[in-house]
This record gives sequence, structure tokens and C-alpha cells, in this order.
Amino acid sequence: MNKRVINFLLTILFVVLVGTWIYTSVRDEFLKQTRASQRRTVETVAAGYPEPEDVDEWLKRLAEDANDYRIALVPEIPMPGEKLSSSPKGDPELAKLTEDSATDPEFSKGFDNAAYEEIYRSARNWTVGAKEEQALFFAPAVSLKTHDIEGALVFAFNTDGEQGFMRMLNTLFFGAFVLFAVVIWQLMMSRDPIVGFALAGLFLMTLTFVAYPLFEALRLSFMENGKFSLSVWRTILNSEGYMSALWGSLKLGCWTATFSTLVGFLFAFVVSRTNAPCKKLISTMGVLPVISPPFSLTLSIILLFGNNGLITRWLRVVGLDFSIYGLPGLVLVQTMGMFPIAFLTLSGVLQAIDSTFEEASLNLSAGRFQTFAKITLPLAVPGLLSAWLLVFTTSLADFANPLLLAGDLRVLSLESYIEVTGMNRLGHGAALSILLLLPTLTAFLAQRFWVAKRSYVTVTGKPSGRITELTTPGVRRILTGIIFAIIIFLIMLYGTIFAGCFVKNWGIDYTFSLENITEAITRSTDALFDTVTLAAIATPIAGIVAMIAALLIVRRKFHGKKFLEMLLMTPFALPGTLLGISYILAFNHAPIILVGTAAIIIINYVIRELPVGIEGGIASLRQIDPSIEEAATDLGADQATVFRTIVLPLVRPAFLSSLSYTFVRSMTAVSAVIFLISARWYHITVLIYNFSENLRFGLASVLSTVLIVIVFGAFGIMRLLVRENANLMKNVT
Amino acid sequence: MANKNSKSVTFDNIVKIFKDPQSGQDVTAVGGVSFTIEPGELVTLLGPSGCGKSTILRMLSGFENPTSGRILIGDNDVTQTPPNKRDTAMVFQSYGLFPHMNVSENVGYGLRLRKVPQKDIDEKVQRFLEMVGLGAMAKRPPSRLSGGQQQRVALARSLIVEPSVLLLDEPLSNLDALLREQMRVEIRRLQKSLGITAMYVTHDRVEAMSLSDRIIVMKGGLISQIGTPSDIYRDPVDTFVSGFVGKVAFFPCVVKGIDDGCNVEIKGHTFKAPRWSDKLKAGDKALVMARPESLSIGEPGAGVEDGTVTANIYLGNSVETWVHTDLGNVLVQIDNPDVKKIFAEGEKVSLSFDPSLTKVLVDDLPKE
Repeated sequence: MNKRVINFLLTILFVVLVGTWIYTSVRDEFLKQTRASQRRTVETVAAGYPEPEDVDEWLKRLAEDANDYRIALVPEIPMPGEKLSSSPKGDPELAKLTEDSATDPEFSKGFDNAAYEEIYRSARNWTVGAKEEQALFFAPAVSLKTHDIEGALVFAFNTDGEQGFMRMLNTLFFGAFVLFAVVIWQLMMSRDPIVGFALAGLFLMTLTFVAYPLFEALRLSFMENGKFSLSVWRTILNSEGYMSALWGSLKLGCWTATFSTLVGFLFAFVVSRTNAPCKKLISTMGVLPVISPPFSLTLSIILLFGNNGLITRWLRVVGLDFSIYGLPGLVLVQTMGMFPIAFLTLSGVLQAIDSTFEEASLNLSAGRFQTFAKITLPLAVPGLLSAWLLVFTTSLADFANPLLLAGDLRVLSLESYIEVTGMNRLGHGAALSILLLLPTLTAFLAQRFWVAKRSYVTVTGKPSGRITELTTPGVRRILTGIIFAIIIFLIMLYGTIFAGCFVKNWGIDYTFSLENITEAITRSTDALFDTVTLAAIATPIAGIVAMIAALLIVRRKFHGKKFLEMLLMTPFALPGTLLGISYILAFNHAPIILVGTAAIIIINYVIRELPVGIEGGIASLRQIDPSIEEAATDLGADQATVFRTIVLPLVRPAFLSSLSYTFVRSMTAVSAVIFLISARWYHITVLIYNFSENLRFGLASVLSTVLIVIVFGAFGIMRLLVRENANLMKNVT
Repeated sequence: MANKNSKSVTFDNIVKIFKDPQSGQDVTAVGGVSFTIEPGELVTLLGPSGCGKSTILRMLSGFENPTSGRILIGDNDVTQTPPNKRDTAMVFQSYGLFPHMNVSENVGYGLRLRKVPQKDIDEKVQRFLEMVGLGAMAKRPPSRLSGGQQQRVALARSLIVEPSVLLLDEPLSNLDALLREQMRVEIRRLQKSLGITAMYVTHDRVEAMSLSDRIIVMKGGLISQIGTPSDIYRDPVDTFVSGFVGKVAFFPCVVKGIDDGCNVEIKGHTFKAPRWSDKLKAGDKALVMARPESLSIGEPGAGVEDGTVTANIYLGNSVETWVHTDLGNVLVQIDNPDVKKIFAEGEKVSLSFDPSLTKVLVDDLPKE
């Protein structure tokens, strides 16, 4: 053991020595180059020293032209240790410094060199006026005619670039050293270094791309002019406008959550507790909207009920005038888009409630309604709460729908976007999205740790498959009637988008036309290509990383596991706007500059979609007997081989759904990505938004349709692949 | 006959301390264990659950790291070698078959990792499948095999890589009684014919007795006794071992003196036992250990302990009679019952034993 530690220390020592050597060489070479170039500037400028009568003019021109240095002229070179006989000319701040410090040994040296027609660079940096760390050069001012030395020129060069470079170099070398040390430590000390590398990678990734940006966002909200200050928060908490936005978000969240839970429960109840017809259709339509791209439902609502909407016009004829923009419209759109969350949660809950309870109740001669009210409903209460909180969180974080439909309603997600992009007040934006995080996080944690624990649902593992009819035919007809009305409305919404593609100018000219399609395709090719490329890169990364993380969490014991899990899962609870803002805050300055690159978008996708993949991976790994993996290891497979040949095939369904989920979510991202796109890397959803803002609804419809097709296609392929796998996987344990 | 490939296994003062995840306290699973397994030998680790036997197996396979001590396979110190680099192959309690591969792919997995040409793999897989009697099942998925067949696949998968040491972790515990007996014979036959060193973990004493060259009896993370099955049965070191490897009755006695045997006195009767604990000396209170087959039943007052017959279990070649005494319930095995007297339930009897089959042990039984 001791021998290995000594070996490790020796290797590290060697690395440090070689590193220091490279580091100093690079640094010295760089400094030599910049100083040489500064010296050349000094030489050239000094060589242009004019006739005495033109000196003032010359200095003025230099002050205007030069951008990396300032210059002052000492008309008469003083004797060492003596004060200047006359005030220097040129840049006032530099002149003042020269006059004040004329007796300083460094200045004396400079003047001395100038007197011998030599150029001298001060050994240390000086503060010139407000600017610190300026490098001073001294050069002789030689008359062209007489070749006499008429004075000394003092140059002050900015060293910002130099210092920036040094900082970068330091960070780089420190980073490289740490990386090296970790790698060597793992290779020398650990029995399976691959696991160590994977763990180190995960920690590094989450710290850099989850913890660090959030910390930066939080820090910036407490900063004013580079100093700690509460002024941002004071402004926000005292502002009526911002507070009304918070109130608006909460109001919207409550309404949407309530309506979505009602609709979701209706769907779930009819599917799992009645003998209604077309249950398959009801289930499908109850899930479909959850994967519809952002803006699509909003878009069709605007097409139908907007100021120039199809239905608005009819209603105006009848004398009804209203505006869809604002709270009611948003609640409608969000409910249509988010009730599937409630449906999925509640149908899971209802299916898990053994219908034997209800049979028992009916058997004890309770009525159907009584059974529903006394048995089914109370058992489903934790599920209902859970669904409500989930929708509430989603609604609060929603960004795309308010963007188009908020009208006068102020909501926080939108407000922080306006602060950042409209007003360029990053601190305010960060603070607002943190404010949004509070209710979101509260609801999320309440759902996770309080409601979920209270659930009565016990998995018996033997679903009876029987359905206890809990409705009378009349009630059933009414319920199915409502459901079909909602389904027809949904189909109408999708149909409207489709129809929007083929209409010349929605709201004005309803003639058939293919112009929109051709225009949309030519104008969106680049954005579409970008979007698909970025999603296609992020997808396999997120999928593999998720499965590796799940494997480590389920199978390995290591320090900081809870912490890592928390960091990995955090992005799930974060509103996209917060993540987007914190990314531009954290990655537009050293040490990591990523703003404007494809990498920042890809990393954002990966980080945001990891939690779902990891949860899926964990759930399916828990089903798999660890001795399967141990058997492979025992037969000689290293950890990477076990992962490739055993784990990945066994968690294939979870892996595939993680892949398709990431792809779809990346294709349809808005809230975070809107902050991260650049001229080079654009996103199609932002394009849809731009078209809608400019009332080019036809173009927006075409792009939405394209997205819908891609999204449904991706899910379809995934379903096919998983089904193929299903027969194989029947007996995993 | 030891295979040239098989190697010895040495545990040198191995300690394993776990951290209890709940309380964070240290738990000693194995507290300083040393032993050697000779090449080609099958050694069983026998003990109640929690005695550390599985931990020892997992340390030998490399899945657990010893806290201190050394493990050698042959002359190689493998203490720090990861499991995939060790020349061991394990048969898991739950088999650990790869569900996404069929039988022959499962068996050939280890060979594929060793980059053996596919043609040789196919040929060898078929040969090993024939050996375990599954030649016709090559293309089946493991989920369509019975428990015993799955066990054979797991065995073939481990044997095909020709490991230096074969490890078996309670491999028969998921099988029903009849299959268990068959597999026991099968495993012993394969191990013998391949001459492979093997370590077998079980808590079933019958399994241990019938399979092993030697048995290591463990208790509380320590080795109680190492020996051949008959050593351990006839000459156990303490009351725990004697009770764990078979039915036994203990009679309190006083040691009178030790010469070529151990002379003891029970209620005025004196006996000479051929085996005794080294720690005993004249004057000690001790126990006489007697197995059911060394006990006999007579009229009350004739033996060393009186009691009442509570049950007779007829097994054909023998009758097991339970006698309730002040010492507890004692099992007496009466061979050839047709020619002997069987006392009826409720009859008063007395117990006596054949001293030449007994051993005198230190009295370490817990006192009420």
C-alpha cells in the first residue's frame, strides 16, 4: 500500500515538474511576444517624433488613433532624483503620474535610458489614473533635423489581454493537473478504474453544468456593480409589477392544475372503472397532447379564437366579443396540453387500486355512487393531490404558451425572459426565475416526499384485470359524452394547424395555397437542420450517461452518492427559463466560455433530460438480479464490457425510451434553449415563435406540423423497437 | 486426480469488516481466517447464515475486498486483483444466467471474452452441454428451462472457461429435494472428473457431508473446525459443531482421569470415551456427546438418564424414537427395528450409550 502511495506521489511530482516547465515556457514565450510587439510599437511611434511646433498636434492625433496605449511627453529629461522642470504633455492621467513619480527610481531609470537613446520597459506595472496594471515604456524623443534628444516619451500599455491570458493559462494548467492526478490515482489505486473514471466524470459534469450555473445565477441576483447587494431582490420584492407576475403565475398554475386534474381523472376513471366504448381511443387521446410540440396548441387556439380567428368571427356576427389572450385562454391551452400528466398519474393509481375493494362495497349493498364516494375517491386522494401538484409545477414552468397567449397577464417565466432579452438585466432575470423556483420546488418536493409516501396504493403484482362497473348507463353516457367533446376539440385543434398550412392568409384570405409550405421550407431549412443535428447529438449522450449513472447509483457504494443523485435529479424540478438564464450567466465568461456554441445547447439538453432517463434506468435495473452482472464479471468481462454486453441489452426498453424522450424533448425545447441559441445555431421552435409573433401563422403552422410528424415518428419507432424486445425480456430475474 | 490446471487456494489471516449502512458502525463479517485448499480438492464452507461463509466466497471471487490479510491462488497473491482478472468461476445461488442470450450463448460467453475463434467455441459449448446433459437445449432461452436445467447451464458456463477454482454459492438451494440430490451427485462427478479445485458454500449439512473432501465449519466469522466429513461428525471440537453437523445428545459428566481414554462418571456409572477435548483435565465438569445411533433404550433405571417416549417414527431401516428427559428431547436411532424392542409412546424408559462411539466435550452450552 505504502509503495503504491509513493509511486503515486513520484508520478505526480514528475507531472508537476514537466507541467511547470511547459507552463513557464508557454508563459515566457507569450510575454516575450507581447513585449516585443509593444516595443515595436514604441519604436515606430518614437521614430515619428515631429518638429517641435507639430508636437501638440502629433500627441493629439496619437491619443485619438491609438487604442492599446497612452502616451505622454516629458519635454526635458531631468537629472536622476530631480523633479521635472516643466509639466509633461499628452495624456493627462499619464502626465500627472509622470510628474508625481519623476523621482521614482523606475522613472529615473527610464529617463536615463531615453537620454542614451534606449527604450526601457518599467520592471513593474503602474496605476495610471483609474486603470491598474499598466506597463510603462520610456523612449527618447529625437529631433529629426538635429538628431538631438529633445525629451522622453512615456507609453502606458494596457495589460488586460496579458492578464486574461495568464488567468486562462493558470486555469487550464490547474484543470489539466487535477484531471491528471485523478486519472493517475484511479489507474494506480483502484481495482476497477473505469468505475472511478465514470464516477469522477459524473461528479465533474454535475458540478460544472448543474451546481455551478445555479450558483452563478444565485450569486448574480445578489450583486450590483460587482459588489454584494440586496438591491435586486429589494427592487423585485417591492415592485408591484413583479409581484403581480408571481401572483399571475400562481393563479394560472392553480386553475390549470384544477381543470387538468378534473379532466385527467375523468379520463382515467372512465378507462379503468367503466365499460365505456372506444377505451383505446380515449387512452391514446389522453396521452397524445403531452408530446405535442410547444406552440402547436396555442397556435391553433389563436387561429380559432384569436382576434382574427375563425370562430371569433362567427361569434362576432352573433354579437359576442371577447379576447382569448390572458388568463382564460391560457388556462384552456394549458389544460389541453397538461391534462395527460394527470391522466397518466391517475390511471396508474386507479389501476393499482384493487377493484376487490369496490366489489366488497357493492356486495355489502352500497350503491354505485356511494361506493365511488366512500371507497374509490378516498383511495385516489393521494393520487389526485399528486397529479394536481405535478400539473401545477408544469404550468408554472411553462414558457411557450404564455409567450404567445399571455396578453395582459404577467407571469414570472415570461417576465424573466423579458428582463434578460429585452432589458438586458441579467440579475433581475435570474432573481425572477429563482422566485419562480420557490413554488415549483415546494410543489415538487411536496409531491415527492409527502404525497407519494401517503399513497395507499400497494402493488400486489397481480392485477386482476377485471373491471367493476361503477356507473349507471346514464351517468356513463354523460361522462363519455364529455370525454368525446374534449377529444373532438383536441382533434379540431390539431386539424386547424394542419389546415393552416394550406391557407393563403389565415384570418383574411382562406383560399387554398401551397405558398406557405414552400416559403416555410426554404426559410426553415437551416434551423430545422440545426435542431435535428443538436437533438441527434444530445440523444445518445443523454441515453448512455443516464444508463451509466443509473447503474452506478443502483449497484455501487460510494461516498457522496446522495449528493450526486440530488445534483443529477435537480434539473427535473427546475423551470427551463432558470436553467437557460443560469447557463448564459455562467458560460459567457472565463473559465468556461460556451455561449454561442452548439455545445452549450447540447449540454443543456443532456442535463435537462438526464433525470427521466436515470429514473427509468434505475427502475429497470432494480428488476435485474445483480448476480447476472457479477456472473459476467466473474467470467472475465471488465466493467465496460459488462455494461455493453449485459446491462445495456437488459435495460434496452428503458434505454430506448430515454433516447426517444431526449430526442423529442430536444426537438421541442423552448424555455431554456431560447436563451442559448445564436446566429449560428438556431432552433425551430424559436422560428415558430417568430413567425407567430409576425402573424405569419401559415408558416408557423407548417413548421408545427413538421415537428408533430417528427415527434410522433420518433415515438412510433421507439414503440416498435420496444415491442420487438418485449418477448425476449419476459423473464429477466 | 488433480488437473494440471487446478491450483491451491490459501487464505492468510483474512479479516473483513463491513460498515453497517444504517448505523454506520463496523461489523466484523470475517475475523481472521486462515486455511488452504489443495489442488483438486472440494472444500465446503458450512455454517448458519451470517457466519461469513458467503463473504469468504465473494472475497475469493474478488467481489469483496478483504480488510486485511492475503489471498493466494496457487502462488499468486490475488488480494488486489479485480474479479474479471481472477481465474475463478462462480455458480450463483440464483444462477445469474443472461436472459437475453440463449443457452449456448450463455455457455460460450466466457470463451467469447477470451477471443476464442467462433468455430472452437461452438464445438466446445456443444461438448460441455452434452456433459451436463443439455445437448438438445442449445438454442433455448434460459427462461424456458426448468430450475435444474438452468443450474446445469450455469455450471457448464463456469466450467467451460477451465478455471483454476470453481466457486459454488449455495447452488442447490432453489431446487426441490429430489433434484437437489441428483445435482449433488452431478456436481461431485463433474468436479472429480475435471479434477478442479472447488469451494462450495452451504448451510445444509447433508449437502456438505455428501459432497466434500473437507468441511470448514464456521461460526460468527471464525472457523470452528476444518476436517473430513467423518472427522467432523465423530470428532467435533465443540458442542456447536457437533450439533450443527448432526443430531446429538449431551450427558453432563465429571472427568475422573485421562489415560488412554477419558474416564468419566455419570450418576455413579463410569465410562471410558476414546475421544476427548484437549482442554479437559481430571475433576472438570464436562459433557458426553452421543449420536442417535450410539444411543439405546432400556428399562427405567438401567441407563444413565430416565425419560418418557414421546414419538416413534418408522423409517423402514430404522426407527427414530424421541425420548423426553430432564436434559431435553433426545433422539434415539434404532437400526434393524424388526429385531429389537420398540417402546411404545408414553412408556418410561432409560437411555444408555455405547462409550466407544462418544466424545467428551467441554461444557460450553449456554446455561439458563
